[in-house]
Amino acid sequence: MHRLTAAFEWQSWEVVGRHARVYLRHWHTSFLPPAGEPVMMLLAFGLGLGGYVTSLDWRGRDVPYMTFVAPGIIAYACFMTAIFQSLYGAFIRMHYQKTWEGQLTTQVELRHVVWGEILWAALLCTSYAAIVAVVLAGCQALGLVALDFGALVLLAPVVFVAGCAFAALGLLFTAVVPTIDHMNLPVFLLVLPLGIVSGTYFPLEDPRLAPLRAVSPLYHLAEGARGLLLGGPAAGHLGALLAMAAVMLVVLVPLDLRLLSRRVLGE
Amino acid sequence: MSLLEAHGLVKSLGGRRVVDGVDLACAAGHVLGLLGPNGAGKTTTLRMLYGFLRPDAGTIRFDGIDVGGDVGRIKRHLGVCTQDDTFDGDFTVEQNLHMAARYFRPRPSDVRARARELMDRFGLLPHAGARPETLSGGFKRRLMIARALVHRPRLLFLDEPTTGLDPQARMAVWDLVDGLRAEGLGIVLTTHYMDEAERLSDALTVLAQGRVVAHGTPKSVLGDLLGEHVVVVDAGAEDGAVAGWLASRGLGAPAGVLGQWHVPLRADDLADFARAFPGLRYEVRAATLDDLFLKLALGPCTG
Repeated sequence: MHRLTAAFEWQSWEVVGRHARVYLRHWHTSFLPPAGEPVMMLLAFGLGLGGYVTSLDWRGRDVPYMTFVAPGIIAYACFMTAIFQSLYGAFIRMHYQKTWEGQLTTQVELRHVVWGEILWAALLCTSYAAIVAVVLAGCQALGLVALDFGALVLLAPVVFVAGCAFAALGLLFTAVVPTIDHMNLPVFLLVLPLGIVSGTYFPLEDPRLAPLRAVSPLYHLAEGARGLLLGGPAAGHLGALLAMAAVMLVVLVPLDLRLLSRRVLGE
Repeated sequence: MSLLEAHGLVKSLGGRRVVDGVDLACAAGHVLGLLGPNGAGKTTTLRMLYGFLRPDAGTIRFDGIDVGGDVGRIKRHLGVCTQDDTFDGDFTVEQNLHMAARYFRPRPSDVRARARELMDRFGLLPHAGARPETLSGGFKRRLMIARALVHRPRLLFLDEPTTGLDPQARMAVWDLVDGLRAEGLGIVLTTHYMDEAERLSDALTVLAQGRVVAHGTPKSVLGDLLGEHVVVVDAGAEDGAVAGWLASRGLGAPAGVLGQWHVPLRADDLADFARAFPGLRYEVRAATLDDLFLKLALGPCTG
């Protein structure tokens, strides 16, 4: 049980504080991905592709493609940020920078290191989602999208919890990949396919994909965000997402800890 | 009373028993040197003592209190300098000291002043604003030790503190260790350097294959395990006779080094040796810990 409650211990939050300080030291470069990527996506998919698609049918409603894709971009940014931070960021700190080993010589234990990584990834992906939202607000001002921005406040805690679950998944790969080059396996076989076929950039209405939809937390995040921002049904998806996130955390965090204690401590 | 006492420490890693019933003790103001060939279990023992690994069996007492296998309870009082540099390359030297202090509760007091004091003492002040990777090897090590002290621990662990340093930097670290001991800090260090162990340690615990094979002052350890004298004989015609003489007295095989045999002997054995080989050319010198390592590396101790 202390493996899960360690999320609330001071050591985990000091680890988060360390990651945040490093991040803020490099803010001018680390700010680019969250601000630049959604702008790129909006230009490519929204304006570019949207020029051909113009509008599509979402739950029986005619929705401009730009408006449809905007919540998907928030969900995708959350997913990618949490996964990549817990894959590459954590691996570099564990393997190359020996940051973990340094932390473990203090009152910080491995469970705090792991929760520090998870909470930091979730915090980062929530702030990325917020930056994407600011970009979208700019688009709204230009009349490119029509979203209900009041609902974004509700989305923030959901994104945070989902980010924790995605990071716990990312750490599982960090615990098992032999070298950083092997990260390509989970990234190309699981992460990118899941990112594409979870209703982020196009509707997933094909009934053959129903089982995939049901088990993809990213699908529920994208559809839940869409429901909130476009004024559609959201509670079902958000409920499913939170339940999945809870199960992922309860299962994955102890598993991460077991695998990482073998890898980091040698036992 | 000892600040740190461990009894019967056992640890298996990867199905192999790396530490097999180790006892040791270190008092405040004393340096305990943990010696042994590669793979003897030094680092694993140290890692159990500072809470990186949990012992499979055994007890650890700190200040007379049994920590019950959970070293986390006393980590506030421990300073740890690992073999690898683990400072944060994203922060300056001074920020590294500030950051380390954040990982302790109750929070260390006057962290800024403490960091300045340590940098001053370790000669790091001119580098306060530098990135650690720009420092020389000796100064990186000083930063690692300073960082382990920022929260004013009572016991310091140094895992091979001078490995890879040039002689001048090694001696600078020795001076620091001497000064810290004089202030009443207990220090447990591992080392491969025999001169370092002899020079720094008040007591030595010698490990081989996960067990303690000797314990005591550097001099008594040598006397117990080896004898005080080492006879150095050029390899040659008398090889068979010398080996036969040693075997007949149960003294084991001599260590071969660059065409010479190094034969550790007690005073009475030396006298017998001189009588047995009156015509042999040889040299007699005092035993060092190097001889001990050679003997340990060759096999089980007979001493």
